[in-house]
Amino acid sequence: MNPFFGKIAAYVKANCSADDYTLRVDLTDRHDTRFGQNAITQHLAGLKTDVILEVAFGNKTGSCRINQSSEENLKYLVETAESMAKLNQPDPEYVPSASASDYQEISNAADATRLLSPERMVNIVQASIANGIAKDAKTSGMTTKVYSEAMLTTKNGFVGTYDMSRFEHSMTLKKGEVETKVSFSSKDFASFKLIEQISRLNDQFTSLGTPQVFEAQKIPVILRPPAIAELMMFMLWQMDRRDADEGMTPFTGQLGKQFFGKDFSIASKLSHDLLAGAPFTGSGIVNRDTWWIKDGILNEMPTERYWAQKLGVQPSEMFNIYIPGSDVSEEQMMQMVPRGLIVNRFWYIRYIDSKSGELTGMTRDGVLYFEDGKIQHAVNNLRFNEIPYLATHRILAKGAESLADSHTVLPTVLIDGFNFVDKTSF
Amino acid sequence: MQYLDLALNTAEQLGAAYADIRIQKTTKQQIYLQNLSLKHTSNQILEGYGIRVFHDGAWGFAHSSVFSNDAIVSTVQRAVQIAKLSATAKRGNGMSLAPERSYIADYSTPMQIDPFAIPLSEKIDLMMEVNRTMLAFDGIKQALFYLIMNKDEKLFASTLGTRLNITTAFIDPMITAVAVCDGDSQSRTFDEGGRAVGWEWIESLNLLDKAKQIAEEALIKVKADNLGAEQRRSLILDPNHLGLTMHESVGHPTELDRVLGWEADFAGISFATPEKLKNYQYGSQIVNFMGDNTLAEGLATAGFDDDGVPGQKWHIIKDGILNEYGTTRETAPEIGLNYSRGCNRATNYFDQPINRIPNLYLLPGTKALTPGELIADTEDGVYIQGRGSFSIDQHRVNFQFGGDFFWEIKNGKLIRPLKKVLYKSSNPEFWNACDAICDERFWKPFGVINCGKGQPGQTGRMTHGSAPARFRNIRVGGSQ
Repeated sequence: MNPFFGKIAAYVKANCSADDYTLRVDLTDRHDTRFGQNAITQHLAGLKTDVILEVAFGNKTGSCRINQSSEENLKYLVETAESMAKLNQPDPEYVPSASASDYQEISNAADATRLLSPERMVNIVQASIANGIAKDAKTSGMTTKVYSEAMLTTKNGFVGTYDMSRFEHSMTLKKGEVETKVSFSSKDFASFKLIEQISRLNDQFTSLGTPQVFEAQKIPVILRPPAIAELMMFMLWQMDRRDADEGMTPFTGQLGKQFFGKDFSIASKLSHDLLAGAPFTGSGIVNRDTWWIKDGILNEMPTERYWAQKLGVQPSEMFNIYIPGSDVSEEQMMQMVPRGLIVNRFWYIRYIDSKSGELTGMTRDGVLYFEDGKIQHAVNNLRFNEIPYLATHRILAKGAESLADSHTVLPTVLIDGFNFVDKTSF
Repeated sequence: MQYLDLALNTAEQLGAAYADIRIQKTTKQQIYLQNLSLKHTSNQILEGYGIRVFHDGAWGFAHSSVFSNDAIVSTVQRAVQIAKLSATAKRGNGMSLAPERSYIADYSTPMQIDPFAIPLSEKIDLMMEVNRTMLAFDGIKQALFYLIMNKDEKLFASTLGTRLNITTAFIDPMITAVAVCDGDSQSRTFDEGGRAVGWEWIESLNLLDKAKQIAEEALIKVKADNLGAEQRRSLILDPNHLGLTMHESVGHPTELDRVLGWEADFAGISFATPEKLKNYQYGSQIVNFMGDNTLAEGLATAGFDDDGVPGQKWHIIKDGILNEYGTTRETAPEIGLNYSRGCNRATNYFDQPINRIPNLYLLPGTKALTPGELIADTEDGVYIQGRGSFSIDQHRVNFQFGGDFFWEIKNGKLIRPLKKVLYKSSNPEFWNACDAICDERFWKPFGVINCGKGQPGQTGRMTHGSAPARFRNIRVGGSQ
């Protein structure tokens, strides 16, 4: 254990008089280089400390969060959390802190990311900008490196630590009406190939040309990984067991039923090489490989500790997203329907109605119209109003799996009859 | 103060053309009550400093939470190193900063009762009573109360000679009732947004009455009709709803960093480009928007921004015409301005300040007009209260909004409650469709405490405001 963590844990153990406590400590070293219109506009770095103590006297709880670690600060931390708990009213849903548990050791951190220098990051930005200038276009984006360490310890004996790294690079290329973006996010910088990213950006840029006016309609869509990831993320945020049991989401009464399309599954996996995932949560839930949706059946929903105890089930949390793919290429997908759209990315997705699960959002960064198996031209961006779980029943094909971001692996997906309801001016 | 001088002297010795240091202590208390269960009761203190160095036309920013001479010096060194790296990827000669004079000043949010001085037990007693009031209604399945109190204490110093001692505070209560009935679930929320005031505001709100009202309205809403197919109708929007609409469709498009394309990769750009200044018909002639970082109780009112520029008041839209942007010292010169409007703000000590929406509000109508008269003058429309679904494209043109509570208007009367109402519009159609605004008696502020922008993400704060207003011929309909 990092000695810094050990010092804080020892202080709390020796000085906290509460009946129960949970202590979380995070150290995050982060460096961000933002660039806009072919120049670096923001550039920042620093190390952050986060110390959170939750305590309980009986079922009266309180917590305190600080970012300093001197003995004086830790005294404040313990005294504040304890005094809040003593002043508080009893919590009928209080659950004792996590007890000692074995958790899976996984590799979430890569030296190539941790040791990445600011100079190398700026070199990547310079090359990205140079590509834009060569095209007489403007490049904007962000290059980020994060290395973090976390510790969780409880009075009931849970002790856990892990570290995690992440490298991200995104580029938006814009010239006139043409605007497109690629992004890369992985725990391991060693897997980043700038030339491949620039090539993909340039291919997307070239394919777009001048967008033609296209009216909103129900039409087949090929959703590339960033688009399907955004859509699914919003659907999954609603998939809380308690909210479903209390009648507030579309998942009410659907556990164990064929609620999604048969060719659709979602898991969280610690065992996937590409995926990052914390081995345990901030409340001490030990993460495990879990199929949330299997062959269209709603198999399990994330369940917080109180609700899990009430139901007599294991608590769980969605710590990353894995959607199995297949081997259908985009070219083959275009042959499967008479006409359709290819969507690179969505933007500003929001719930329209929590109970129905309906979402709205815009396309972004390039929409292509295809017909007779071939891309014909780019079109304007469109607004959709769609219910994702219903859309999974209209999945016609899936492509190969790929890394959408450090916590998400999924395929390109062909969905029939996607509900576009409006268009915008670009 | 020794740290301020040490940081600035070190930066100048290392060749900085400009530098500032912001020592910031953020104290926050959050209480979250769900169905009489205290899900979260927390006190938080985050304290540290951010040092910003401008070198050779580029920025470097480094932060730390370690207070020692050595840590200050090493943080400055890191900021300078980063700035030098930034300068290897600059445009032309790099950025320049709009001129500004030095200030030595103090500012503190006016308040009568410090919220942090109120005993926790008193706050929780009130919240429990509010929860019980809502849960007493049959059909209310969930009662939520989220209370945030926040105080930021800043010491700011720059190589211009500016020394500022600023304390800002806000408080934000939000209450939600969720009704479940006949296979549907609908919520109703009381949320004025945050406000830069003391606990006296909470005492004036009559929260038990509000709890009863929103529980009743949640039950009305869950049993209400859908509007049906989309068609062109009139909309009457209350200030609480308009706050978010103006935030998205006027506030963000007039942030100069977006206009310049600096946010192209993430938050997006703006249709409201500089050639439209002083000539673009953004709205009808009755539409006047003020940027105003001097607004009493405003969340962006802090005396000065994080560039050390004083709070100001200016027309962003005047008589319907795009007049001016919200600017910072780094963005203003990009369009030839030699002054900043003071919109550079950071959320935490570890955030580099960015171009933010100021307090931004729609001026009330100049002729006497009540909401009742406005409804009576409307033949076919929908009256929307509160915030709901909201989504806008990344150029800030096309948008779709919902709301929190809806009434159908026919022949000048509210005839039935509705649910799941959406309207679709775009810039400049929407604000040009504004044909009536109630007068100043009905003007109300609405605070936003969670405006997401920037990478790493920051949650900005600002206050909007308006009187109820009418918009003609807007596409309005029900969701699926």
